[in-house]
Amino acid sequence: MRTDVLRLDLRLRRRMLTATGLAAGAYLLLVVAAYPAFKHDSGLDAMVAANPAAAAAFGINGSITSTAGWLDANMYANVAPLLALLLSIGYGATAIAGQNADGTLGLLASLPLSRTAALAQKMAALLLVSAVVPGASLLASLAGPHFGLTPDWANLLGVSLTLTLLAFDLGAVALLVGAITDVRGAALGGASAVAGAAYLLNALAPVVDAVRSIRWLSPFSWAIGSDTLAAGVEPSGLVALTALGVALGLATFAALRRLDIH
Amino acid sequence: MREAPVVVERLTKTFAGRRALSDVSFQVDAGQILGFLGPNGAGKSTTIRCLLGLYRPSSGRARVLGHDPAAGDASFLAGVGYLPGELRLPASLTGGEVLSRFAGIRRLRDTTYREELVERLGAELDRPVQTLSKGNKQKLGIILAFMHRPQLLVLDEPTSGLDPLLQDEFATLLRESAAAGRTVLLSSHDLDEVQRLVQRLVVIRGGCIVVDDTVERLRADAPRTVDLTFDHEVDTRLLATVPGVTITAATNGHVRLTHTGPAAPLLEVITPLAPDTITSRPADLEDLFIQLYAARDQGAPDAH
Repeated sequence: MRTDVLRLDLRLRRRMLTATGLAAGAYLLLVVAAYPAFKHDSGLDAMVAANPAAAAAFGINGSITSTAGWLDANMYANVAPLLALLLSIGYGATAIAGQNADGTLGLLASLPLSRTAALAQKMAALLLVSAVVPGASLLASLAGPHFGLTPDWANLLGVSLTLTLLAFDLGAVALLVGAITDVRGAALGGASAVAGAAYLLNALAPVVDAVRSIRWLSPFSWAIGSDTLAAGVEPSGLVALTALGVALGLATFAALRRLDIH
Repeated sequence: MREAPVVVERLTKTFAGRRALSDVSFQVDAGQILGFLGPNGAGKSTTIRCLLGLYRPSSGRARVLGHDPAAGDASFLAGVGYLPGELRLPASLTGGEVLSRFAGIRRLRDTTYREELVERLGAELDRPVQTLSKGNKQKLGIILAFMHRPQLLVLDEPTSGLDPLLQDEFATLLRESAAAGRTVLLSSHDLDEVQRLVQRLVVIRGGCIVVDDTVERLRADAPRTVDLTFDHEVDTRLLATVPGVTITAATNGHVRLTHTGPAAPLLEVITPLAPDTITSRPADLEDLFIQLYAARDQGAPDAH
């Protein structure tokens, strides 16, 4: 498979990807290093139990002093998706609509490379972009045992995978909106709105009756659900995230064929 | 007989209900340098983008190197070198990175000609594109268009930002390409450049082709300017009756007129007027284009 476009796009975002990856890793290292100070703090669990709605808004459910609860509450339920989506939605909005607006897509499209082939490489680049934060976080969590924090590695790997797919899917929403509207702002705004709604739907479901029954609609519930680090990733979630990504990719292929490239 | 490298038939392109191109038809024959001219917004870039498959035509069709650019198969672009009118290169890459990455996508293995072009144009390869002047970016664009020795060159305002010396070097490059049998579609505002380089001209205005002819024939039909001076009063009304004559200025002792067609009927009228001096300027395409361009707002649809 040719990778020229993939490598070019990653090269153009090299600094942002490196900085965000390092920031995510450094942040998780701090979270891990702080764990010994909180792991026996029953007051923290009592505080969460007393404010379930407020805690739910930050994606926190159940005990946060357990190994899985600590990582969930401080990274995987909120900060990690936020950083991963920042990169993936940012890239998704730039890869078609942004590059068409700044004129670089036109030069690329005048080369002997079909739109299908170019998009396939951009989708592959999106997958790699989506894996930066989960990958860096996974690497940083390897330091956990030194601080008395030993997660279930299989579950952590599973969550890293589903988080990557979640970021990919929402980045693909930006790619699709960009290919349909040819407006970077619409791609960025549309995908961010979908991400925000999906996050709230998943986070508030445990405490808000009105949304509990439709929680399954949120890709966040497929990826990080509730207590995923402790209980493991549901295969159905993995399948749903993959299927959504494929569907969005196919729709983007169709939209890109019709796009006027300047 | 082999199909011409570029064949455009009744090409129409509409953007949100606005017609940018209307039944545009022309062709570029093999080995020919065709000048594609028109005022701003006439539809030059829109036509070029349709030829490269960047825009899908609303109706009509184009054939480029035997392929339909709208079919989605980009393989024909291996034989095309394109320089866009508004060149935008990835800003954070150096000139060298731009050339090597685009050469990589083209699978260009032999870089000898690319290196020769870098040398001839004095391209700056070590600095990021964002720090380069317009002229230095344009040099990179020219190298990107020429480096794979394409069968067809599509050049939109190629000398924009280049100094006169580099414009000459570019003209030499173009003549070498034509001598090697390559076909060139040259879109330009620079009439001097076009008159020096091209064999045929297509002029587009308001999305419609208004002229498609050889430079030789256009020059023959273009208006000649004649200046007459007199040391006595004359009645210029007789001059205006000659077919093909338009009096553009008439002041005391001086008459300027433009004239198309045979000279004899005009001379028959001038001789009895006994002018002091007669000066005739050779036909200039510029006059013809000014007339064509001046009419651009008359019912012309907008183009991208």
